Amino acid sequence: MKVEFVNPFYKATKDIFKLMLNIDPQRKDLKILEDMIPGREVSVLLGITGHLQGGVMFSFPMPMSLDMIKIMSGMDINIIDNFASSALGEIGNIIGGNALTELSKHNLICNIIPPQVFVGEHRSLSLANQKALLLTLTTSIGEFDLSVFLKTGQ
Amino acid sequence: MWKDSYSIGVDLIDEQHKELFHRVWEFARVIRSSENWEDRLEQVKETMDFMKDYVITHFNDEEEYQEEINYPDIEIHKQAHAKFREGINQYVELFEKEGLTEEKIQEFGGKLMTWLIVHVGKMDQLIGEFVRSQGGQNNES
Repeated sequence: MKVEFVNPFYKATKDIFKLMLNIDPQRKDLKILEDMIPGREVSVLLGITGHLQGGVMFSFPMPMSLDMIKIMSGMDINIIDNFASSALGEIGNIIGGNALTELSKHNLICNIIPPQVFVGEHRSLSLANQKALLLTLTTSIGEFDLSVFLKTGQ
Repeated sequence: MWKDSYSIGVDLIDEQHKELFHRVWEFARVIRSSENWEDRLEQVKETMDFMKDYVITHFNDEEEYQEEINYPDIEIHKQAHAKFREGINQYVELFEKEGLTEEKIQEFGGKLMTWLIVHVGKMDQLIGEFVRSQGGQNNES
């Protein structure tokens, strides 16, 4: 797992947050995890296949995820229903798509497996028991985690 | 849902975008309402029919405008429209096959809102930038 695989996802996250929410996330901590675990209440998991294989996960506190949908929709949102969950998944999908476009410039061709959204904490996803990098990002509406576990495929 | 920052400075397109955002907001309100699903179904169907037609009209108008101004990235933009239409059509086909369920309609609504914001907030802004770079015909559609 190379640290440089994280950068395209970090950059795409910043771009899409700016575009969709007018929020500019800042890097806080970078940690190594033994496994990818949704450390916060609402998580979006993207599977990656191709030259790189593994997964990327965004993990948000509940109030932040509700605020994100509120900013986008202009509506009062108090629960992660299918509408909110689908919008969060699609934000993850778009960030992932942009990151993969960036990786393809370095001849790493990958595809995204459609996002899964989890509501609830500490549910182990056990992605091959490989180490993942966890980047914590701060924003004006809360802190969230971007975890990346990618290894070079066949 | 509409924000002034989404404006590209071309009246015809901005007005259509405002209408699209308004309709998607209205759609989201109906599909997220706690009222009985059967009672909301008629309104959902009407909005779906309107959206299908209006998205096509809007994309056609926008592409026609891009041709008029010799927009250099028209082909990239047409591809983005085709992808957007394909995304809608996949759900239309699903609804035709499996009927309109609240779960799937909400899923579609969440995606539709996200696609619209990304498309208008990013791709369409490039049209406005091009118009301004050409000496600015903005607001004179």
